[in-house]
Amino acid sequence: MIDTMADPMIVFDRIEKTYNMGAEIIRALDGVTFSVEAGEFIAIIGPSGSGKSTLMNVVGCLDTPSGGAYRLAGESVENLSRDQLAEVRNTRIGFVFQTFNLLPRLTAIENVEVPLVYAGVSRRERRKRAVAMLERVGLADRGKHRPAELSGGQRQRVAIARALSLDPAVLLADEPTGALDTATGHDIMQLFHTLHRDGSTIVLVTHDPDLAEQADRIIRILDGRITDDRKCAAKEAFA
Amino acid sequence: MTRQALLENTRMSIRSILSVPVRSILTGLGVMIGVGAVITLVALGNGAQKQVEAGLEALGANLLIVYSGEPRGTALVRTNTSNIRPTLTETDIEMIRALPPDLVRLVAPASTANAQLKYENRNIAATVIGTTVEYPDVRNFYPIYGEFFTEVDVESRRAVVVLGAQTYRDLFVAGQDPIGERVRINGIAFRVVGVMEEKGSTAQDSSVLIPISTFQRSVSGSSNYAMVNIQAASSDVMRELQAILERELLRLHRMPSIEAADFYIANQLDLLSTVQGVAGTFTMLLASIAAISLVVGGIGIMNIMLVSVTERTREIGVRMALGARGRDIMAQFLTEAVILSVGGGVIGVALGLGASWAAVEFLRTAAVATASSVGTAFGFSVVIGLFFGGYPAWRASRLDPIEALRYE
Repeated sequence: MIDTMADPMIVFDRIEKTYNMGAEIIRALDGVTFSVEAGEFIAIIGPSGSGKSTLMNVVGCLDTPSGGAYRLAGESVENLSRDQLAEVRNTRIGFVFQTFNLLPRLTAIENVEVPLVYAGVSRRERRKRAVAMLERVGLADRGKHRPAELSGGQRQRVAIARALSLDPAVLLADEPTGALDTATGHDIMQLFHTLHRDGSTIVLVTHDPDLAEQADRIIRILDGRITDDRKCAAKEAFA
Repeated sequence: MTRQALLENTRMSIRSILSVPVRSILTGLGVMIGVGAVITLVALGNGAQKQVEAGLEALGANLLIVYSGEPRGTALVRTNTSNIRPTLTETDIEMIRALPPDLVRLVAPASTANAQLKYENRNIAATVIGTTVEYPDVRNFYPIYGEFFTEVDVESRRAVVVLGAQTYRDLFVAGQDPIGERVRINGIAFRVVGVMEEKGSTAQDSSVLIPISTFQRSVSGSSNYAMVNIQAASSDVMRELQAILERELLRLHRMPSIEAADFYIANQLDLLSTVQGVAGTFTMLLASIAAISLVVGGIGIMNIMLVSVTERTREIGVRMALGARGRDIMAQFLTEAVILSVGGGVIGVALGLGASWAAVEFLRTAAVATASSVGTAFGFSVVIGLFFGGYPAWRASRLDPIEALRYE
């Protein structure tokens, strides 16, 4: 029975990911177990090479685990085909990248519309939702601009609007402030806090401990294993 | 893929094509030239065919010719039968003339011989055609000056002659009135009564025409005929008429089969279909050569699409992360390839039609662009876009989203 309200948003049960590098077998994820409740804001932290990126790819359904079970919003997703994964990414995951990854030839509105195109939403409805999303991230007046005409912070807001466009189960942010200056980075984090208060489930992947402290909870990963999973006391200060 | 997605793909493709205009034009150029070449060359081929057909029709309407001698391969029109022993008799002609008018309209028996023509101090060799007054109507070949000889001339075996256009030029000074002048044929004096129109065929233009009766007495000495030109009542009865002629002539000549007979029948319809067959092959050959350039154009599109897929690896990764399935990516790049190819095709059609028009207008050649050649060339450009765009699009659709996102 699928009940997204009662089930946790993310359930990782002994997830493994191994790569065959010739004779050597690399265990990028080695029995990772954790869960994320709906509406939770967690940070995944770890140095490069820790398995953090692999974990993010599996959470984001860009990759399938070699072993273990993964339930996303009450649905098993560990054994899906390429096309099924694409659909899950489309409707359940909202990606926010370090380098924004906007499509340079499209306007802000059109960028926000991209996931809606793949979901088969009609043109008029797409436009309506994209405008509403840009409004939500405070860019209502920049809809007709192309990424090159926007500042870094504005670009990241467009990317966040795009991630939100299909009301995803999880907002998955990979170093979202990594390409921004401190002040702009702070603004973007404020936007995440606002979205969190409005009920979004957020997974923030970072190597920056200060950034991670802003989440409800920090999961620390090293050598493909969770080494620490704790609630964050200081979060009220940032809310 | 939904209509929605198709529309969106088309919009996105047009946008990315327009974002690199020079490259897009160069990419489409191959297909442009290919389609243009197919249309132009097929038009020239069709034009040549139409010209030959018109030439055949100028031989005379619904024409059947019975020749003396054995069939010679593919039946062709032969004006000069001088080397053939004439085997068609007066009885044969009477039989043909007696056929009902709903089968036979006109009959013009004829014989030919090579002869020496002399006027004043000019001496030339020419083909002498002995025939009857029906000849101009049957062969669609009329005097342009003076008159053709008359029934009375034939009955009285008069020494009168009608000159072919070239023969006139060879014997007379330009502008000189030949009527009433005496031309010697093999030493016998003939009075010129007319000059025939220019036909464009050496055989007819370099000939002279005299009454058949005069020919039999003064030139050949034989009472047989080398050939009989017959105008059928209509094109519908030509096959029936040919069958009747074959049967009756075999009977009169007491011969068992047409293969062993001493005559054969050339049918204008057969000539036409032979010529059409040859012209069709010729046109196909031209079209095939042009089609090679279409294929080369397709390879150009494949090349650029492969480059484009590599350049846009990151875009593909982003789209996949946002929910594009393999088939969405495939459709996007296929649409782009097809639009490039079809765009080239449309311009190619315009180029081809323009070149065909120019060939008629400035080079005075016959060129007939047909809807089917335009349609085929255009259809090919769609197929080429799909075929040569297929591999790059497939490669794009198989990219790993993680790798693609990491691509710099």
